[in-house]
Amino acid sequence: MAYLVAIPLLAFLAILQSTVFSSFGLLDGRPDLVFLAVVAWGISGHARQAMVWGLIGGLLLDLFSGVPFGSSAIVLILVAFLVSLFEGRLWEAHLLMPLWITLAASFIYHFLGIGILVLAGRSIDFVVALNRVILPSAFLNLLLALPASQMAAALRDSLFPPEVSI
Amino acid sequence: MSRYPTRGVLAITLILIAVALLVLNQGGYLQPAQSLVLRPIAGFQTWLSVRASAVRDLLTSPGDIETLRQQIADLESENAALKQEMIALRERAAETEILAALVDFARSQPESHYLAANVVGRDISPFLKWILIGAGSDDGLQRGMPVVTERGLVGRVVDVFATISRVQLITDPEAAVNVKLQESRADGILVPQLNGDLQVQFLDQSATIELGELVLTSGLGGTMPADISIGKVISVRKRDFELFQEATIEPDVDFDELEIVLVITSFIPIELPEESP
Repeated sequence: MAYLVAIPLLAFLAILQSTVFSSFGLLDGRPDLVFLAVVAWGISGHARQAMVWGLIGGLLLDLFSGVPFGSSAIVLILVAFLVSLFEGRLWEAHLLMPLWITLAASFIYHFLGIGILVLAGRSIDFVVALNRVILPSAFLNLLLALPASQMAAALRDSLFPPEVSI
Repeated sequence: MSRYPTRGVLAITLILIAVALLVLNQGGYLQPAQSLVLRPIAGFQTWLSVRASAVRDLLTSPGDIETLRQQIADLESENAALKQEMIALRERAAETEILAALVDFARSQPESHYLAANVVGRDISPFLKWILIGAGSDDGLQRGMPVVTERGLVGRVVDVFATISRVQLITDPEAAVNVKLQESRADGILVPQLNGDLQVQFLDQSATIELGELVLTSGLGGTMPADISIGKVISVRKRDFELFQEATIEPDVDFDELEIVLVITSFIPIELPEESP
């Protein structure tokens, strides 16, 4: 069921990211909506599903990008996998934990993305990328991390209602 | 034993699927599938893009907001309906204005054939200065066709799907265009810098370059038509010990405000090397 929801949801977020949020950013940084959805779903307790979301979301993102097709999927699967390593250990530990996880994952997401672009033969000025893209994007992702995790939790509760013993 | 794979096995499996798709795409096998997926998406993206553009125009025009507020105050009973109508009309007027300018431009260049296309999105990677336009192979677009506005050169088509195409802007660091300076007649190559500056390199040391001089496409190499405006020279760097001088230019086109562009469909580049982002 979660996968049926994932395809239209991630497609909508990818279109929104390409069409609307491409014009609203900080310097060259933009919020990464699909990334936020994948991380938030992982944090909500469905880390394995989040990896599949990463594959679907990454492929959808690559439809709107000139990066090698499949590369965003690889990056998002890796990010979801890293998020899954903390599953069940830290989520309930602190209210702000999703923020820290999203911040760390945001840096990893962009570093891996740059790595793939460099492997594809594109020249990237790392200092410019850090100042104009990675840091502003991480900040914007951080701003949206809590709403994203709240929405993911609401979606999880509607898809998988908690069992009640009578 | 659990019937679900461990997360490590799952991650490796999914990554292998992604790598397989990447390899298939490099061989061009996924092009039809991508076109198929993009066909319904392109319609929705165009619809969303027009509305997002209208909202952005509204948010970035303080004077217009004031006017709108006044009108809304005067016509309280029709508040919501009028506001919606106003946005739609304003957007249409802006589009008409753009189209009129583009038609004037097209008329001034009767030797070329143009196809107008909406800008429906931008590349999701901040490292690629590419845009998505709402026209594709169904409209006769081909890879390598130049893209312009009435102000000047925008870029060239690099990927074509059925209903949508990707355009590499001339500000993309991987884009390079052969150019000439109008007054001094010096030839050079437009090389966008990673920091966003547009530089013309390999200009002859003996050329006398004036600030404000117009930079045009030279047509050398056959990848672009000649005499399309690109921008004006805003600074020149000339050192006696260097073989060439360099000029920094200010582009005529505002790449952040692109809404409608013209694809020169009558121009087919002689040879276009394979793109690698």
